[in-house]
Amino acid sequence: MANLKDIQRQIKSVSNTQKTTRAMKLVSTAKLRRAEELAKRSRLYSEKLNQVIAEIAGRLKCNKVGGINSRCFSDINNPKTVDIIFVTADKGLCGGFNIQTIKAVNKLLKEYKDKDVKVRLSGIGKKGVEFYKYNEVELYEAISNLSSKPDKKRSDKFIRTSIAEFKDGKVDAVHIVYNGFKNMMTQELHVNRILPVDTNKFDCEASEAQSMLEIEAQDDEKMLDSLVSKYVEYNMYYALIDSVAAEHSARMQAMDTATNNAADMVKSLNVKFNKARQAAITTELIEIISGVESMK
Amino acid sequence: METFKLEIITPNGEIFHDNAVSVTLPGEEGEFGVLAHHSSVSTLLEAGVVDIEKEDKTVESVLINWGVVHVDEQQVVVLVEGAVAIRGENESAIADALEEAKALVKSIEDSGQAIASVSAKLETAAQNLI
Repeated sequence: MANLKDIQRQIKSVSNTQKTTRAMKLVSTAKLRRAEELAKRSRLYSEKLNQVIAEIAGRLKCNKVGGINSRCFSDINNPKTVDIIFVTADKGLCGGFNIQTIKAVNKLLKEYKDKDVKVRLSGIGKKGVEFYKYNEVELYEAISNLSSKPDKKRSDKFIRTSIAEFKDGKVDAVHIVYNGFKNMMTQELHVNRILPVDTNKFDCEASEAQSMLEIEAQDDEKMLDSLVSKYVEYNMYYALIDSVAAEHSARMQAMDTATNNAADMVKSLNVKFNKARQAAITTELIEIISGVESMK
Repeated sequence: METFKLEIITPNGEIFHDNAVSVTLPGEEGEFGVLAHHSSVSTLLEAGVVDIEKEDKTVESVLINWGVVHVDEQQVVVLVEGAVAIRGENESAIADALEEAKALVKSIEDSGQAIASVSAKLETAAQNLI
């Protein structure tokens, strides 16, 4: 028979944990609302920017724009060095949020390793960085305190090295892996190759009917260059804000489940406690009665 | 009068999404106008004022700091980093928008002649509304 004191202590400890998880859930809900709003507003811009880039890239591929040969839009068949940038949270306690991203990164790493491609792994967010440090995987660049507070300037500074090195030919592809916000209940894993721009989706024949695309600037390449830089910078920033929203929704869910589990546990512990108490009372009664019987 | 679909989008959301008769944009190599059925073109925009002539012939002005425009036969998509629309129900709202626009002009780093002309244009746009 379990000790009454022990059970009581357990109940107290579980309900204290429940208080903490409930508070964390409330905090995440409040933060999520703000992060979600930001992500929603930026989504439209990001989508349109991607569309414009995709269209330009597609038309370049279909030779509708003459004489431009930018590295950012050409398919590189045998990459030698690739950049993988992942975004995780700075904090844990958010369910499988970080692990999902790490798994996706590992899969990508393995794919490239099989092809004998050198991978430079860069990470934003303490959790992912710690994971790779623990597993003794070398990180090219590790940044913390950015994923919980996305900042356009810092994210631009970070991604600009990758853009510059890509343009110089030191890197042949840039991938961003992050867990994005889908809705309150689900997160969506994104593995995006942002450089070179993917042109495979574009259908050349469908665009036959449209007129030739004209790129108006003194220098076509300069225009494309600055557009691509903006595109990559914005995609990086968007990945950060989308990831923050997803992190909060994941934490909110995890903490909700934890609170419910704690409630269930307190309930079953209470039943156990009552049973134990009843058993103790019964034993005492029997003792008294048998004591009285023996005195007769 | 034929119209086309015009969208002006900033990272903070849409600022304009409607049919327009014509739009004047501050391109890197000078201002240019777009009417319906313009041929496809993509170009960069610099700091300046976008004038939109709407279906009811009224003109709306939007200040932008940097952007890119993508024109095709059906629609015009303007992507900008920062933008303020000069519009409002009454004088004070317009004045507020003008203040906001001026703050944006100030934030544009490389000031020069272009900026001075932008400020002047803003004032005229606001005056026309009042």
